[in-house]
Amino acid sequence: MSPIPSDAIAEPIAHSPSDAIAESIAHSSYDAIVIGAGHNGLVSAALLAKAGLRVMVLERREEVGGAAVTTQLSSGARAPGVAHSVERFDPGLVSRLGLDRHGLQLIEPEVAAFCPQGDAPALTLWPDAVRTGRELGSDGQGYLELDRRVRSLSGFLATLFRATPVDLTHPGLQGARTGVQLVRALRTLGEDGKELLRAVPMAVADFVSEHVNGSALRAAVAARAVRYTAAGPWSAGTTYQLLAESTGGGGAAGRTLFVRGGPGALGGALAAAARAAGAEIRTSSAVSAVLSHHGAVTGVALSSGEEIGATAVLSGADPKHTLLDLVDPVELGPTLRWRASNLRLSGVTCKLNLALSRAPVFTDAPNSQVLQGRIVIAPGIDYLERAFDHSKYGRISEAPFLEATIPSLSDDSLCAGEGHVMSVLFQYAPYRLREGRWEDQRDLVAKVALETLEQHAPGLSDLVEDVQVLTPEDLERDYGLTEAGALHGEPGLDQIFSWRPLLGHARYRIGLDGLYLCGSGAHPGGGLTGLPGAGAAREVLRDFRKTEPSGHWATLPLIGEGRDEGHEWLPLEGHDDTASPGSSEGSKDRQQRDAP
Amino acid sequence: MGKEYDAIVIGGGHNGLVSAAYLARAGWRVLVLERRHVLGGAAVTEEVFEGFRFSVCSYVVSLLRPEIIRELQLSKHGLEILPLDGTFTPLDDDYLWRVNDHGKTVRELRRWSLQDAEAYDEYGRLMVDMARFIKPVLALAPPSASGFKLSEWLPLASLGKRFQALPEHHQAVFLQLMTMSATDFLQQWFETDPLVATMSASGIIGTFQGIRSPGTAYVLLHHYMGEIDGAFRSWGIPRGGTGAVSESIAAAAREAGAEIRTEAPVDHIITRSGRATGVALSSGEEIEAKVLLSSLDVRQTFMNLLDPSELDSEFVSELSRYKFRGSSGKVNLALDALPDFTCLPGEGEHLRGAISFSPSVDYMERAYDDAKYGRFSRRPYIDMIIPTLVDPAMAPPGKHVMSCFVQYAPYHLTEGNWDEQRDAFGDAVIDTIAERAPNIRDIILHRQVLTPLDLERTFGLSEGNIFHGELSLEQLFVNRPVPGWARYRTPVEGLWLNGSATHPGGGLMGAPGRIAALEVLHAHRDEAA
Repeated sequence: MSPIPSDAIAEPIAHSPSDAIAESIAHSSYDAIVIGAGHNGLVSAALLAKAGLRVMVLERREEVGGAAVTTQLSSGARAPGVAHSVERFDPGLVSRLGLDRHGLQLIEPEVAAFCPQGDAPALTLWPDAVRTGRELGSDGQGYLELDRRVRSLSGFLATLFRATPVDLTHPGLQGARTGVQLVRALRTLGEDGKELLRAVPMAVADFVSEHVNGSALRAAVAARAVRYTAAGPWSAGTTYQLLAESTGGGGAAGRTLFVRGGPGALGGALAAAARAAGAEIRTSSAVSAVLSHHGAVTGVALSSGEEIGATAVLSGADPKHTLLDLVDPVELGPTLRWRASNLRLSGVTCKLNLALSRAPVFTDAPNSQVLQGRIVIAPGIDYLERAFDHSKYGRISEAPFLEATIPSLSDDSLCAGEGHVMSVLFQYAPYRLREGRWEDQRDLVAKVALETLEQHAPGLSDLVEDVQVLTPEDLERDYGLTEAGALHGEPGLDQIFSWRPLLGHARYRIGLDGLYLCGSGAHPGGGLTGLPGAGAAREVLRDFRKTEPSGHWATLPLIGEGRDEGHEWLPLEGHDDTASPGSSEGSKDRQQRDAP
Repeated sequence: MGKEYDAIVIGGGHNGLVSAAYLARAGWRVLVLERRHVLGGAAVTEEVFEGFRFSVCSYVVSLLRPEIIRELQLSKHGLEILPLDGTFTPLDDDYLWRVNDHGKTVRELRRWSLQDAEAYDEYGRLMVDMARFIKPVLALAPPSASGFKLSEWLPLASLGKRFQALPEHHQAVFLQLMTMSATDFLQQWFETDPLVATMSASGIIGTFQGIRSPGTAYVLLHHYMGEIDGAFRSWGIPRGGTGAVSESIAAAAREAGAEIRTEAPVDHIITRSGRATGVALSSGEEIEAKVLLSSLDVRQTFMNLLDPSELDSEFVSELSRYKFRGSSGKVNLALDALPDFTCLPGEGEHLRGAISFSPSVDYMERAYDDAKYGRFSRRPYIDMIIPTLVDPAMAPPGKHVMSCFVQYAPYHLTEGNWDEQRDAFGDAVIDTIAERAPNIRDIILHRQVLTPLDLERTFGLSEGNIFHGELSLEQLFVNRPVPGWARYRTPVEGLWLNGSATHPGGGLMGAPGRIAALEVLHAHRDEAA
C-alpha cells in the first residue's frame, strides 16, 4: 500500500477556496453541476432540472453524448462513435423524459444475432426464442430452458438495478427494509431464487453448458457476457455479466436495438430533454477540479481557470478519474485514494468503423435480413477463451472475438446511396500492451479484423472505402474513458452492487459531501442503461429534501415514489426519512480520511 | 434402537474418523468402514518404496482445526507437528526466499522492492484479521438456501454484526477476498512478480482456476486460515507423515469406543422405503445402523452406493452439475541426495520449507492455459517439500523423500488417456525441476506418479479432485454440495454427508467431519430424550 503520507503535504493544495470564495459560493448560481454530458450525466441533469433544480452540465468535448455519439467518417457516412446498440437503455427513462418527443426513434431489427461459424452452419438467434429453438434441433428444448432462466434471473437483477444499493457498512433500517423486500422478491422467483446465488458467480461457459450442448450456440450466448470485459467465458462471475446484459430483455439471445441516426441521437434527445427542463449545457468546458472546503463540495474549476459554484456536483466521469484527478487528495484522504487507485477498469476493446461501398455478403447468410442485428464472430467457447488468453499477456488477439453491426441496413439516414457502415467491436485488445505502442498497432488491428471478417464474408475488404480504428488509447484520450474502460469499471464480482465502485460508497455519494457519481462507475454499471444517472439524481434530490426539510425542497417530488408521471419506478426504494442523511454518509468519508 | 450400531461411517478418511470420534464420545456405538488396508483416505503415510515412507497425497498440515486437536486430545494420541520454515521460489538466476523470521523476510523483500517490504507487514496483519473474522464460519452449519428458516440464519446474524464492527477498509478487503482473483487482490499491495505469483499459488491449489480467475482470493484465504497453536498461516508436517494425523484421530475414536474396520469396502447402501437402514459390504455382509454417514464425495455416495433412480430427479440433476474437475497430480520421489539449485547451490536452510515453482504470474497463467484446453501443463506449478529434512525417519539414513504437488493435470485430457500420459506427465515434472536443480535426474532412486485418474482409482476422489469438488464460489457454503442440501443431511433419510463435499470444504481440516457429527447428535438429541 502506498498512500500519500499525510505529512508529505503540509498545506492543502490548490483547490480549497479561501473563505471569501466560499462566501461567494454560498450564493452560487447552481444547485447542481454535472461533469460530463454523457448519457448518464444528461439523464441526471434532465431529472434534476425537471425536479426544479438549477443545473449546469459541463462537457469537455465539443459534442454531447459521451460514448453515445455518432461520428462522421471521411467518406461522409455516419457511424456509431463507440457503443453501437442501446438495448439496455431504460424504457422508463424514455417515457419519463419524453425522449420520443425530443427526436428519439428506436429501431429493433428482426434478428437479434447472426453467428457465422466457418466450418459449421451459421446460427441465427431471433428475438423469438421459440423460433430459435425450432431451428436448433436437439438443443432446442435446452435453449428454451436457458432462455427462461436468463429471463427470470435477469428480471430480478433488473429490479435491483433500479434501486439504490444498501450500504453494507451501515445498513441500518434502510438496509433491513431492503433486505426484507429482497427476500420477498427472491421468493417470487421460486426455484430460480435458489439458483441465483449459484448462478451469479459462475463462469458463463459453465452456465450455458448446463442447458445446451452445441459449441456454436454456447459461444453465441456467452459472447455477450464478455463484451467490453477483461474476462473470458471461463472466468468466474461472467454469468453475472450475461444476466446484467440481459436486463434489457431478449432472454438468452439478448436484444439488439438501434437509434435512428446513430447513438448520437440518443445523446441529442437527452440533451434536448435536459434543456427543455431548464438545464444549461456547456460543451468544450473541461472540468479540471472539484472544489471543496472542509470536506464539502463548493463547485468546480474549469481548465480555463473559471470557477463555478454549486451545492452538489455529479460526476459522470469514471470513479478513478473523479477521485484521483479531480478531488483534492488531502480532502479525499489516503485510504480512499488508495482504494480508488486499485479500481479495476482496464479496457480490452478496440472499435472499428468501416464505410462500405455496398452491403457485404456473408457466405452463410441466407439473406441480408439476418445481418441486421449483431453479427457475432465467436465460433466456439475455446475460440473466445483463446482470444482472451492473448490479453492476459498484454497482446492483441490473433483470432479476435468480433461483434459487428451494420446499422445502415435498418437506418437509411446514415449513408447515402448504396453505401453502408459497419461498426465492429474488436476483442481482445488490452489497454496495456506488453510490447509496442498502441499508435503503431492501428493498422494491425484493422488488418486482423478484416481478415477475420473475410473468412465469413469473402470480398468484404474490397468494399471498404474508409476504416476508422479507435484503439484503447484513443478511447481514453477522445472519450475520457480512463484506461479505456468502456464500462467505467470491470463488472467483476468485486465491483458490483453495494460495492460498486467501492464498498461503503455505492449509494452514489462518494468522497466529499455533495459529490455524487452519476456515471457507469456507479450502480448498476455500464452498458448504456441511463440507470446510474437516474439513481444519482434520486439520491441528490433526497439529500436536498433533507437539508431543508421545511423549505422549498420539501415539496420536491421524490423520484422513486411512483407518483411522478405515473411511472412504476424503483420498487425497492420507498419514501425514506429514516435513513442517515446524505451528509452523514459524507462525513464517514471524512472520518476515513483521518485513518492512517 | 435394537440395532447393532447407532452409526456407520463410510470411509476412514480424516473426516470420517473425526465424525466417528465425536459420535463415540457422545456414547454412540460407531462403526467405521474403510475400503483400503490403511486408514486416512487422502491423509495417509505409505511405504511406497522399501524404506521410503511418503505422505502419498496430502503432505502438509495447517488447516486442521485447533478445536479438533484440543477436543480429541490428538497430541496425547501421538500427533506431533514439525514446523516448515518458509517458502523458497527458485528463479532463473535469482530466488525469492521468505522465512518465518519476519525481519529476515522483510530484508529479503527489500532486495526486490522497498514498497513491497513495507506492505508485507500490513498485508500480513490484515490477513490475520480476516482469518480471525471468518474463523467462526468454519465451525457452523450453513443455512439451507431455500426456505429461510430463522434458526438456521441466526448464527449468521452475529457474523453480520461482527462485520459491521469491522473498519470499513477491512470490510472492503473481506469483500474482495470473497470475489477477486488472487493475483488482482495481491497486486493491490505488491509489485514483485515472483512474490505475487508465489503467494497467489495458494489460491489455486486443488482448483481448476488460474491465479487470475475471480474467486481464487477466497481459496487464498482458505489456505491462510491454517493455524498451528493459534498462529495463523503456519504450516507444518506431522511426524511420520500425514498418515500420523489420521492415526491419531483413529486412536481417539477407538479410545472413545468406536470400532474401525479396514479392507471392508461398502458395496451399497441399503434403503427401505426411502430410508437408509444399513450397508452391504462387497463380501456380502450386511450391517444395520440407525444413522449412516458418508465421507465419500457426492458422486461416490449417490451414484455408486445408491441407485440414482431411487433419488429425486431434481436432486440427481443438481448432482450432475456439481463440478469436480480434478486439476492436480502428485509426484513422489525417493532420492539418493538433496537437489542442488543453480540459483542457490548447496544444502542450505532454503530446502527445509516449501519450494515453490512459481517464478512469475505469466508462468502460472500459462500452466493454467494448458489445462483449459485439456493438456497437462508443460511447465507446471510445483509445490515441493523434502520431509526428511525435518523428519529423517521417513527414509533410510542419508536418503531423502521428496513430495511434489503438481498443477495443472486436468482429469479430462483432450488427447490420449492418463494411463498413456502418466510417464510423460512425470517427465514434465522432472524436466521442470531439472531446469532449476539440474542434479535431480542423477539422484532419483524411485519415482511415483499419481495422476488425477490414479487419485480417483486409489483414493476414491472423483475426477481426482482433492477437495471432493471445486472450491468455486458457486459451490461454497449454502451451495455445497448442492443448493438446499448444505446442512449435512441428504434427501435419503438417515443418510448424512460428512466429507469434504460439505461445508467448509476440502483440505486436511476435519471441520466437515466435526460439524456433521454435531449436527447428527443435535438432530437425535430430542429423540433420545
